[in-house]
Amino acid sequence: MPRPLLRLLVFALLLSGPCRPAWAGAPERIVSLAPAMTEILFALGLGEKVVGITSVCDRPEEAQGKTRVGGMSNPSLEAILALKPELVVMTTDGNPKHIADQLGRLGMAIHVFTPRRLSEIPGGIRELGVRVGAEEAADILARELETLLETPPRFAAGEGPKALFVIWPEPLIVAGPGTLIDDALTLAGYVNIAADAGTAYPRFSVEEALRRRPDVIFLGLGHDRDNPRTQRLLQRLVPAGLDHPGRIVAVGDALYRAGPRLPAGIIEISPGQSLEKERAAR
Amino acid sequence: MKRTRMLFACAAALLLALASVFFGPRLLNPLAMDAEARQILLLLRLPRAAVAFLMGGALGASGFILQGVFRNPLADPYILGLSGGASLAAALGILLAGSLPLPLPFLAFAGALGACALVAALGRGPEGLRPDRLLLGGIGLGFFFSAVLLLLMTLASDGGLKRTILWMSGDLSSANWELIPGGLVLILGGLALALARGQGLNVLSLGDDIAHGLGFNPGRERFFLFVAASLMTAAAVSLGGTVGFVGLLVPHAVRHLVGADSRRALPVSFFGGGALLCLADSLGRSLAAPLEIPAGVIVALIGAPWFILVLRKKGYGL
Amino acid sequence: MLDFTDVAFDFSDKPFIAGLSFAVARGEVLGLIGPNGAGKSTVLKLAAGLLKPRAGSIRLAGRPIASYSGRERARRVAYLPQQLDARLPFRVAELVEMGGYPHRGRAPRETSEALRLAGLETKADAPLGRLSGGELRRAYLAMTLRQGADCLLLDEPLAGLDLKYQAELLHLLRGIAARTGTTVVMSLHDMGAALWLDRLLALKEGELIGAGKPRELLSEELIRKLFDLDEEAAWIFRPGAGLPETKAATF
Repeated sequence: MPRPLLRLLVFALLLSGPCRPAWAGAPERIVSLAPAMTEILFALGLGEKVVGITSVCDRPEEAQGKTRVGGMSNPSLEAILALKPELVVMTTDGNPKHIADQLGRLGMAIHVFTPRRLSEIPGGIRELGVRVGAEEAADILARELETLLETPPRFAAGEGPKALFVIWPEPLIVAGPGTLIDDALTLAGYVNIAADAGTAYPRFSVEEALRRRPDVIFLGLGHDRDNPRTQRLLQRLVPAGLDHPGRIVAVGDALYRAGPRLPAGIIEISPGQSLEKERAAR
Repeated sequence: MKRTRMLFACAAALLLALASVFFGPRLLNPLAMDAEARQILLLLRLPRAAVAFLMGGALGASGFILQGVFRNPLADPYILGLSGGASLAAALGILLAGSLPLPLPFLAFAGALGACALVAALGRGPEGLRPDRLLLGGIGLGFFFSAVLLLLMTLASDGGLKRTILWMSGDLSSANWELIPGGLVLILGGLALALARGQGLNVLSLGDDIAHGLGFNPGRERFFLFVAASLMTAAAVSLGGTVGFVGLLVPHAVRHLVGADSRRALPVSFFGGGALLCLADSLGRSLAAPLEIPAGVIVALIGAPWFILVLRKKGYGL
Repeated sequence: MLDFTDVAFDFSDKPFIAGLSFAVARGEVLGLIGPNGAGKSTVLKLAAGLLKPRAGSIRLAGRPIASYSGRERARRVAYLPQQLDARLPFRVAELVEMGGYPHRGRAPRETSEALRLAGLETKADAPLGRLSGGELRRAYLAMTLRQGADCLLLDEPLAGLDLKYQAELLHLLRGIAARTGTTVVMSLHDMGAALWLDRLLALKEGELIGAGKPRELLSEELIRKLFDLDEEAAWIFRPGAGLPETKAATF
C-alpha cells in the first residue's frame, strides 16, 4: 500500500475514534447547552465535570466560572470542540436540531433531554442520570418531583382559584397551554385563565385578563410590584379587584426551566403558601 | 366639490375609528353597557383606540409628506433610520437601566429624533437638504442602527431586551391615557406645521427649479417639512413602537381618493391612517382572542394585496 | 424689462459667461440660439434668479433680481425648465392652481382663464400623465400664466414637439405677448421656428456673437460661425442645391 494512502487511513481511523458510542464509562468532560441542563448537572453533583456552559446559564453560583460556548440557539461549534467534551447535553426546549446534527457529524457524543411536560421530567432526569453515571443522585432528584406530582389536588378539576402567570407585562405575555408553568398551576389546583390561548407564550388580551377575573396573578422574575411596567399593567387590571392582598404574587424563575428547582417553584405558587407570605409581608 | 369630498372622507374615517372601539374579544353594545363594559371601554379600549388613531394618523401624514419631499412613492416614515434609532435608544436605556431611569416612550422619542437630526446632518448640501442625500443617509444609518441593535441582542443575556424589541415592533395593548397628551401635542404640532407648508409640499413635487420659479426656497421648505414628519414619526414610535406599511399604503390610497393636492390629501392621510390602524387593531384583538395579533400584521395582510392590485390596475407614479 | 449688464458667471471656478450685456423690452418675444453648451440655459437661470452671477448686474423692471424676495420675484418672472415631469399625481387644474401661490390667493388670473388661454379648457380634470407632449407643455405654461408674471423664461419649450404643436405653442406665446404685454425669453434649437420671434440673441461659449431681427441675423455666415459648420455641412442652408456632390457619391 502506498504510504500516503496508509497515512490517510490511519488519520481517518484516528478521526473516527470518538464516533464509537462512549457507553463504556461515565463522561469526564461535559458541555451543557441549556441553563436547565447546567442546573441539573450541578444538582447531580457533577459540577467538576462540566467544562462548558452557555452565556445564558446563570445558575448555580458555582457554574459562573465555567467556559462559555455561546448562546442556546447559536453556540459556537468551535468553542465546543476546543473543550474536547466527552458528552454534550442538549435540550429540545431551546437548542435547535441542526446544532445536534452538526455535533453528531463532528463525532461528538450528545444526549438530548426531550421532556417538555412536568410529568415527563422525572423520567428525563433519570435517563440523563444513567447517561452521566449519576443514577442515584438522579433518582433522588426525580423522586422529589414525583412526590409532588402524586399529591392529590386540593380542588376538583376546574374548581380551583383562577390564575394568570405573567411572563412580561408590556405587551402582556403570559404562560399559555403546554408549558411547565401551566402544568404546575394545574398541579397546584389553579385554573390557568390563559389555557385556551393556543400558544405556549401568547400575547394575551388585557381586556380578557380583566374580564376573566383571575383570583391570583403571578408575576414572573423581574416584574415585582415596584417595576413601573408592572405597575402600569396592574393599574389597568384594577377593576378586576386585584387590590386585595395576596392576589398578586411575585415569584422567581424556578418554573421557567425543567431543572432541579421545579419542586420549589411548585411550592412557591401553591395557594396556602403564597397567600400567607403576602399577608406576612403586610 | 373636492372640499366636500375631503370633509366627507375625514368624517367617515373618524366614524370608522369610533366604531372600532366596540369590537374586541367581545362586542360591546353602546346602548346597553354594564359597569364592567364601561370600565373596559374607558380603561382599555378608548386609550388604545386614541393611541392607534394618533399613531396611524402620524404615520399616514408623515408618509405623505416624505413621499413628496423625496419625490419618491416608496418613501415611508421609517426610511429615515428612525425606527432603528428609537429601538436602539430604548435598548440602550434598558441596558443602562440603573443609571438612566427614563421611561421607554421618552427614550424612543429621543432616539427617533436623534436619528432624524443625524440624517438631516448627512443630507445637507450647500443648497440645503437634498432628497438623494437624505435618502442615502437614512438608509445607511438605518442599517447601522439595526446592526448595533443586533449586536446588543447577541451580547446581552437579558431577556428583557428581547421583549423590548418586541414592544418596539408595535404594541398598542399597553396604551394608557398618560401617553396621549404628549403624543397629541407633538403630532398635531407636526401636522399643523406641515399644513402651513402645504403649498411648499405641492411645489416640491414639481422639482426644485419650478419650486424656485414659484417663489419658494426648496431647501427651506424641505427642512420644515422634514421637521414636521420627524416630529410626527418620533411621537408615533414613542406611543407604540413601529408599525409598518401604514405610512406607505395610506398616502397612495388617499391620492387615489381625493387627489394629490396636499392641502386636501394631508388631512385625509392623517384621518385615514388613524382609521386604518384603529380598524386593524380592533381586528387584531378580536380575530384570535384571547390571543392578540399585532396591528401591523393586520395592516400588511389587508394592505399588501390591495396595494398590488391598485398598482397593477393603474400603474400611476408620484 | 430685463437688463443684463456685464454679467459674468463661472462654472466650477472656470469662466463660463463673461461680460454679457443685453436688454429685453416689454412685450418682446426674444429667442436665445446657439450650440449646446453655449450658455442659453445658464442665461435663463440667471434671469430667473436660480443662479447668482459672479459679477455684473441683472435687473428686472429696474431692480436688481437679487433684491426681490422669492414671492415678489415670482410675481414678476416665471421660469420653466426644459424637462417637465409628467409623472406627477396632479390633475391639470391642480397644477395650474399652483401658479397662484406667489399671490397668496389673489392671483391676477383665475385658473379657468389660464386654462382657456392655454387652450386646455377641456383637459382641466385630466391627470398630467395622460397628456400629450404638447398638452403637457401648455399645462405648465398655463401655470405660469396664472402666475401672471410679466416675464416668461422658457428653456427649450419647443423641444420634442412635432411641427403642429410647435406652431400652436409659438402662436399661443405670441398672442399672449401681444395681448398682455408679457415679455417672453426662450431658448431654442429650431432655426425655422426662430424666424417667428421678434428678436434673437446668438450665444457661443458664453459670448454674444450677434443680435437682431431673425431674418437679418440668420445669415449663412453667422450660422456657420455659430455652429462651427464646415463648407460641406452648410448645404443645409441652400434648399435648392441638393446634397453636396462628394457626400452624395458615398451614399
